[in-house]
Amino acid sequence: MKLGIVTDSTSDLPQTLVDQHDIEVVSSILILSGEEYADGRGISREEFYKRLPSLQTPPTTAAPSIGEFSSRYERLFSRGCDHILSIHAAGTLTSIISAARQAAQEFPNRVTVVDSLSLSLGLGFQVLAAAENIENGLDASLAAVESTRKRLQVYAALDTMEYLRRSGRVPGAVAMLGGLLSIKPLIELTEGEVKAMGAVRTAKQANERLLAFFKSGSGFERLAILHTGAEARAREFLNQLMMEVSQSLPRDILMVNVTTVIGTHVGPNGLGFAAVRK
Amino acid sequence: MPPDNLRTSSLDDETMKRLMKAGLRPFDGQAVKRLVEAGLTWLKTNQQIVNSLNVFPVPDGDTGTNMTLTMTSAWNEIKDSGEKHAGRMMALVAKGALMGARGNSGVILSQLWRGFARAMQDSAVMDADSVVRGFDEARDTAYKGVVKPVEGTILTVAREVAEATQAASGSTKDSIKILEIAVKAADEAVQKTPDLLPVLKQANVVDSGGKGLFFILEGMLRHVYGQPLDTPLATLQPLSSLNFENAMQEVEEGQDYEVVVDFFPNNQFELQKFYNKLEEMGTSIQVGEGEGMYRMHIHVPLDKRYEPIDYIMSLGTITKVAMENLMAQMNEIDARTKGSKIEFAKVEAGQIAVVVVSPGAGLSRIFASLGVAAVVEGGQTMNPSTQDILNSFENLPTDKIIILPNNKNIIMAANQAKDVTVKKVAVVPTRTVPQGLAAMLSLNPDGELDSIAEKMTKAMNAVKSGEITVATRSVEIDGVKVQTGQVIALLDGKLVLSASSVEEGVLGLLEKADAANHELVTLFYGEEMNQAEANRIADRVREKYPSLEVELQDGGQPHYQFIISVE
Repeated sequence: MKLGIVTDSTSDLPQTLVDQHDIEVVSSILILSGEEYADGRGISREEFYKRLPSLQTPPTTAAPSIGEFSSRYERLFSRGCDHILSIHAAGTLTSIISAARQAAQEFPNRVTVVDSLSLSLGLGFQVLAAAENIENGLDASLAAVESTRKRLQVYAALDTMEYLRRSGRVPGAVAMLGGLLSIKPLIELTEGEVKAMGAVRTAKQANERLLAFFKSGSGFERLAILHTGAEARAREFLNQLMMEVSQSLPRDILMVNVTTVIGTHVGPNGLGFAAVRK
Repeated sequence: MPPDNLRTSSLDDETMKRLMKAGLRPFDGQAVKRLVEAGLTWLKTNQQIVNSLNVFPVPDGDTGTNMTLTMTSAWNEIKDSGEKHAGRMMALVAKGALMGARGNSGVILSQLWRGFARAMQDSAVMDADSVVRGFDEARDTAYKGVVKPVEGTILTVAREVAEATQAASGSTKDSIKILEIAVKAADEAVQKTPDLLPVLKQANVVDSGGKGLFFILEGMLRHVYGQPLDTPLATLQPLSSLNFENAMQEVEEGQDYEVVVDFFPNNQFELQKFYNKLEEMGTSIQVGEGEGMYRMHIHVPLDKRYEPIDYIMSLGTITKVAMENLMAQMNEIDARTKGSKIEFAKVEAGQIAVVVVSPGAGLSRIFASLGVAAVVEGGQTMNPSTQDILNSFENLPTDKIIILPNNKNIIMAANQAKDVTVKKVAVVPTRTVPQGLAAMLSLNPDGELDSIAEKMTKAMNAVKSGEITVATRSVEIDGVKVQTGQVIALLDGKLVLSASSVEEGVLGLLEKADAANHELVTLFYGEEMNQAEANRIADRVREKYPSLEVELQDGGQPHYQFIISVE
């Protein structure tokens, strides 16, 4: 039985890994100044984050259409896949997965849709785990996804509350913070929910708090440093990690400028990571 | 040894007479009450003297005021009591002092009473032995209540009193003799405090808390001797240590005008006579002297506002007169503190509620925006009592409380509130407002109390705290020379510089704080600054540190032109 893997562009998987594992990625949509952009095309991430603070009208996002999913599933089946594993961004935060589910109904018992309950590489690492086990069949792939999700940690230090509050996707505990004083919130994404982990007031304090997570953990199998248009900051953080906790890091570390579709809701100059514990 | 029936039950009049005749002169409950009243009255009369013994030239919670308020709370607990049992009366004193304790000196004073009361809880009368036991236990309780006891403070005075009375207990069973020995020992211990605590020597003062304790004990003795308690000792302070700001806090109804007169007296000038005459005119009397010039301060009623001037005219040459309407000033302060209502975080049962001590309306609003559930007003010059802190959280619908005192002189009262409540309380020992704000950022109301408190304690050290104020006296500390009225800057509680303007003070402070190597400076301007001026100074900071983020906020705190966080 041949298994196909589908995900969406919020998985933030680098193109090399997408090509290597033959993963089908459906683009989410960015709406900027009245124009629609398929995620990753038409405007670079670097440019997007540079423009974001000065945009007159804040950008918005939209899920890919049901039809888009149907045609991707169709293409995989026509290429000889017997079954499709379709893994997507947390249903609590986006409507992407509901589009996928509706498309899957057109192919009864042939598409398994999985809610990653995460975003960015938090989703991407689950997709990779599935792809790496593709030869062992559907059950083995699903088990690998499940196991990865259980060991997943996704944290972020945002530069401002503004975008998150505007997005309306945050629970009261996070939105309550600040208001008068400018603060940088720390959030954890776990089981599909954004949780407040307190806040800091400077980038240095944020780095120290992120670093503390690594110091408290034992070792990591996968790691991606995530940033929103803050490459210098991300590199500096990586250096800090290498200096202080190198023994608990995996051999390959991804450095990812996060998709504009997520960036719209968290704002520029944020730093975070997605990690899978050993 | 006194007879056994001195224990537990109250004594009948016959037994009392017999003991008095035998020269033991014990005190029953009502006599103890009069002693406490006398101690309070004498302390109140000399409150300004104790206040003037301020080491740092900053407007902060005054020891004399704090101890007087603590004793007043003790007195309020017993003033209507007809209790004849001395031990039970003393227990009431301890309870009142505990709830009303303000500032570190007030908290230690309340612990002294607690120890004293515990030692004589079964004593129907206070005789020589129970006084000795009382001082002994008072010392032990107070020392245990302080994490790191420092010598040269009220603790030393309490210790020396305990040691002296213990030593004398073999040779006399006369309770009044013991009291005499206690007063003498307290006096000597106070004089020695500068030898034990270098900051006192540097500032050329004795310890204020120790001096306050001395006045309480001396007041009791003066009462026994039948000496007056309402006339202060005629004292001449150095001009540089006069502090009229304090006097604002005790404006009495009817004493509407503040009069300050500078003059050079003629040869016949007699300080005691001068004081006695002023006492007839008004309250809050302070007299200072510097290079032959005298400065007199008094609060008087409207119709007597020219009397002090006319009187002083007859004593020498007046060089300057200043008169101010206190009620108008007080109304202005009241009006400013009443603003729009602040919305606090709503906590649910089982969640953690944070209560903070906040010195200004703007700061209260900022704390509220960070999720604080209640605010106790107070800070630098107005230290809230244990009771004030308790009141702030007793009615919150949760039993998990974190207190941020935000002032080093309120930490002990906060800890005491923790000890007397049934709620589960953690005190995060923030010493400044910036530390309190930094700690708030680590709050997770659904977390586990101790681990959140620990996180907050760690987080509070992420900032440097600066304060800009005006020197209340001339002094030299840590090599910084300060003249009364000069702008001074404190960094993490240490005096770092004096300056001729607020702007110069702010810029100098930031340099000392190594601001260039930090990211963010937040300036909270006080009620004495107007917004335009605060803006101008913030712009100067931005010019000087272009890579620094500078945030300006209305703090609304009194006395401090700026509270500054550097991180």
